[in-house]
Amino acid sequence: MNTVPLIEKTVHTVSSVMTTTLADRASSAMPNEWWWVVVWLAVGLAAIGALITALGLVLIYVERKIAGHFQCRLGPTRVGPFGLLQTLADTIKLMVKEDITPTEADQAMHLFAPFLALVATVLVLVVIPYSPILQIVDLNIGVLFVTAVSGYGVMGILIGGWSSNNKWSMIGAMRVGAQIISYEVSATLALLVVVLFSQTMSLAGIVESQAPGWWVWRAHGVGFLAFVIYVIAATAEINRTPFDIAEGESELTGGFHTEYSGLRFSFFFLSEFVNMFAVSALAATLFLGGWMPFHIGLSNSFNSIMDMIPTVVWFLGKTSFILFLIMWFRWTFPRLRVDQLMRLEWKILLPIGLVNLFAAAIVVLTRLFFFPGVS
Amino acid sequence: MGLIDFSKLKSETRTFAGKPVNVTIGPRFNKMGVPAKVVFSLKSLMEGMWLTLSYLLSPSTVVTKEYPENRLTLKFPERYRATLRLTNDENGFFKCTGCKMCERACPNLSIKVITRKGPVSDKMELDRYIWRQDSCTFCNSCVQVCPFKALNMTHDFENAVYDRRLLIYCLNRYAGPAAGILAAQDEETRKKMMEPRQPYGGNVPMNGYQLPYLKALPGKPADPAQGSNK
Repeated sequence: MNTVPLIEKTVHTVSSVMTTTLADRASSAMPNEWWWVVVWLAVGLAAIGALITALGLVLIYVERKIAGHFQCRLGPTRVGPFGLLQTLADTIKLMVKEDITPTEADQAMHLFAPFLALVATVLVLVVIPYSPILQIVDLNIGVLFVTAVSGYGVMGILIGGWSSNNKWSMIGAMRVGAQIISYEVSATLALLVVVLFSQTMSLAGIVESQAPGWWVWRAHGVGFLAFVIYVIAATAEINRTPFDIAEGESELTGGFHTEYSGLRFSFFFLSEFVNMFAVSALAATLFLGGWMPFHIGLSNSFNSIMDMIPTVVWFLGKTSFILFLIMWFRWTFPRLRVDQLMRLEWKILLPIGLVNLFAAAIVVLTRLFFFPGVS
Repeated sequence: MGLIDFSKLKSETRTFAGKPVNVTIGPRFNKMGVPAKVVFSLKSLMEGMWLTLSYLLSPSTVVTKEYPENRLTLKFPERYRATLRLTNDENGFFKCTGCKMCERACPNLSIKVITRKGPVSDKMELDRYIWRQDSCTFCNSCVQVCPFKALNMTHDFENAVYDRRLLIYCLNRYAGPAAGILAAQDEETRKKMMEPRQPYGGNVPMNGYQLPYLKALPGKPADPAQGSNK
């Protein structure tokens, strides 16, 4: 498949194949040039590895800086200009630290848990469309795949907490299990609204369906409500304040990663931040149009100005907005109690989500949203 | 704009123990209806988010001081509390009368005021004002309780030492009556009334000891007549 014309016709055409993924390239190279398959797969692996490293370095620094200024502090300032090398210094510190496994712990499971937690987030990163030509693989069941593999993260945390043989780890892990399973329901109900509107589960297809407008406003009320529910449920799924009862450092001294140190602790830490990026990218893809520039209707003058901004910038901008929102929540809101957390999910978010899904179905059937004929 | 508008609160008279008392009734979250609860909660969340955003957007709210480089230009908040000192009047005499109010007010016995009968004035006066910086929590109680405004918390915060005994010391540089009495005397009587005192002399653990970086104090070691070290 030739890539150059694809870049040219990326955004203007509606309801045609706009996205080409790494998997597409590999499979089209398969019949005659088998070595290109290896090259494309290696490129994919390297890209995901580089993305995780960059996310870890950048997000942790940004979070610490933002947190500092939210609390009238400065954040890191000493290591490098403006403290830019602080995360690097911390990474080196964590790598050379002693890696302790408690004697009473289940050694194999204790070793395995952090990797499982990180693998879950990597699997989500694989299917996200970063731009029309930047996607590792586009599954036709993308949304289902994402909701399925994000469960691996819970497994990692549960195994880590269980195998530590420590009461704090145990309580923390059990809380995470209850919390994530509960909030996954609301998150999935919110995702289903978008699936109803775009009539596809492929993430690239969902982005393409938003060419006339993003679902958050094109599906007016129900789309916005689904977006709000998804952001709340996603914040809970990645265990961030105000839903961080799993760590709850004031009660549980660190929760599931109490007994972890050194490099394996940093894996848990990294997976938290990569998870945060993954849910933000997913929210941007599903509700805010992913890499799709901001378009109003089908008028060409305004849209072509918006098309001049590169698609990756659009994607990163939308993702950063939701990342900032999640950080903003963390440094403003107090932590919820366990029973309050469960009440919020089962008595408030879930009923609203269900009603919203029904309303969305009615809206789709009656074609009452903006530009119904386009996709 | 606060969460509760105090001007709109209702007030009524209730009877407590047979006496009428004016009571102001604020909004009670537990007695609100569900819509009011939702509005109140969302409003409070929004206000919190607006507050933190305003902190983020205006760098002037940052209170962190980046210390060692700007040591000479360091500015403190007015009520910053560090080392305790006796305040002097314009002539350089302390105002302390040795009334021991601060010693009573101190929550963890960090202050020991030793008084004596003045050899010249024949009245009670301050001999040694001993302050334990190692146990002081800088609660400011002594400053607040002082009836003569003879104490204050200075901004002098660089107090690190290599021996914790150095943190227990005498605040006054001379033993004698308070500033008011001294000012009324002529030059000669004043000199007789003021007896010099060293920071690490008398009733402190460092008295009579010698460290490589601290010379032995001049004069005799601890005087047992002044009472035991507590």
